[in-house]
Amino acid sequence: MSDSALESVTPTPQPSFGGDVVIEANALTKAFSEEVIALQGASFQIKKGSFISLVGPSGCGKSTLLRLAAGLIDRTSGSIRVHGEEVNEPRTDIGMMFQKPTLLEWRTAVENVLLPNEIKGTIDDAARRRAIEALHLVGLKEFEFHFPRQLSGGMQQRVALARLLQTGADILLLDEPFGALDEFTRERLNIELMRIVDDTPTTSLFVTHNIAEAIFLADEVMVMTPRPGKLARIVDVPFERPRSLELQLTPEFNAIESEVRDLLGSYV
Amino acid sequence: MTTAPTVEQLAPTRTAKVLKASLKHIITFGLIIFVWEILGRTGQLNRLILPWPSLIGAQLLDLFFISGKIYFHFFTTLAEAVIGFFIGVSIGISLAVGAAFSPRFRRYIAPYAVVFNVTPGIAVAPMIIAWFGFGWSSKIALAALVCFFPPFVNTLTALMRTDEDATDLFRSLGASKREYFWKLQLPNAIPLIFAGLKLALTGALLGTIVAEFFSASAGVGILMQRFAFALQIDGSFATLLTMSAMGLMLFTLMEVLDYRLVFWKRDSRMDSVSKKRAARWRSRHGAIEVS
Ligand SMILES: Nc1ncnc2c1ncn2[C@@H]1O[C@H](COP(=O)(O)OP(=O)(O)OP(=O)(O)O)[C@@H](O)[C@H]1O
Ligand SMILES: [Mg+2]
Repeated sequence: MSDSALESVTPTPQPSFGGDVVIEANALTKAFSEEVIALQGASFQIKKGSFISLVGPSGCGKSTLLRLAAGLIDRTSGSIRVHGEEVNEPRTDIGMMFQKPTLLEWRTAVENVLLPNEIKGTIDDAARRRAIEALHLVGLKEFEFHFPRQLSGGMQQRVALARLLQTGADILLLDEPFGALDEFTRERLNIELMRIVDDTPTTSLFVTHNIAEAIFLADEVMVMTPRPGKLARIVDVPFERPRSLELQLTPEFNAIESEVRDLLGSYV
Repeated sequence: MTTAPTVEQLAPTRTAKVLKASLKHIITFGLIIFVWEILGRTGQLNRLILPWPSLIGAQLLDLFFISGKIYFHFFTTLAEAVIGFFIGVSIGISLAVGAAFSPRFRRYIAPYAVVFNVTPGIAVAPMIIAWFGFGWSSKIALAALVCFFPPFVNTLTALMRTDEDATDLFRSLGASKREYFWKLQLPNAIPLIFAGLKLALTGALLGTIVAEFFSASAGVGILMQRFAFALQIDGSFATLLTMSAMGLMLFTLMEVLDYRLVFWKRDSRMDSVSKKRAARWRSRHGAIEVS
């Protein structure tokens, strides 16, 4: 799917460490207009199976970065590669989750979860079984046939999570997926999300405004500057997995937390 | 079965409440009719201007049960309005879908749509009669013309207002334009389209009746005119009530359709639809273990 004309313009032709890198950006820039430069010269590499959190002030281009990686919008310059291929159109091997559940109101929970199969033409009994299992996995046993409006906000977001799992995508782009939920629900969903991605070779890019959450979930935290959004630093989070909530009380965790906070604070 | 006693206990109180609430309205209405009738019988009203209830009632009785001549007019108007409605709505929705899909088409028709909207459709009636003649076709044409706009503008608005994240979701799943339309855009637009259809229905009835005023051999519009020209105002009132009944009937039909189709906006409906979906799943995919 690579476009040779575009490829010749990109500064770095191939990632240096081969198949290990799943997402690679080089001097990636997106300008919506001359004044609105949403993302400026971002360069990074995301390794297979890693979980990356993306934090930064509002409007700094986090969503833009995710949409560029998913191929939903075109970059202005630079390059963004997924599995070594320049992204020029929507990639169907990427799963997305948004702040809103974005469910189809006229479909039951399980019908929503089956949407990816329906569109990809892979609907069969095995897919149906997996959809039911996905709903059970996210704690929605007995709610398979409820409509979104019959579910709470947290439950709706669980359906969205089940749908994300159902895509079978090995790259997940999560744009503040639990941002609209209360602290308690969010914490539980974070734990569930972590359990799910720990078990699979999934690569995740997770946007959040919550610093503790960002660190708790991630292998690395990417910190961005305000507009025009640039990548400021990548902070390593070396804690072992599986992690438990108590980790957040350790001095090591707090040290990283204040480091990220300082980085963000220096721009405000 | 265990719930039966509670339902029985609750039922009378609920019915009583409803009765009590409607009783006020019934009494008020009865009072108005009574005073009106008294005023008429004591010679306070001119029957050529404001006939009293018993006169109007007598006319209704004659129209529906003695001479029975209302039925021919009633069903003529009904048929013309309904056919006009379907034509107008089909054109409106088709144009809206076209405009939603093609930005160029949208740009081209936008100014016409604006002018069309601000021009009173009823004013075209004489031209419609000139083009289509005095038969049923001119009634259908005016009905279609008057009711075309609400479904057009509502459908277009609703189709253009698809959620951005949902659009991203469909694109990242690799959905085709067709899937995007049928699985997201259209169902998402249905509640607003229905609101347009309800407006269109009233418009269709209005268009038909106005066209009948100009000249017709059948229809409640012409019946109304004959009564009025003969200064039989009681007959006019009876016809007017018949028109209200027709409008109410059509509107109720739409409401019921809306209620059944757009179940996901009705909390009271979702429960039963949800149970139906569960039953359907179990009968089709019974092998797949649920809960
Ligand atoms: N489709 C668009 N057209 C024009 N400008 C846009 C568009 N999308 C985003 N922008 C602009 O780009 C900048 C970055 O937006 P983006 O949504 O990526 O920020 P964000 O970091 O996700 O913010 P938040 O944390 O509030 O979600 C903002 O200034 C925004 O106004
Ligand atoms: Mg955002």
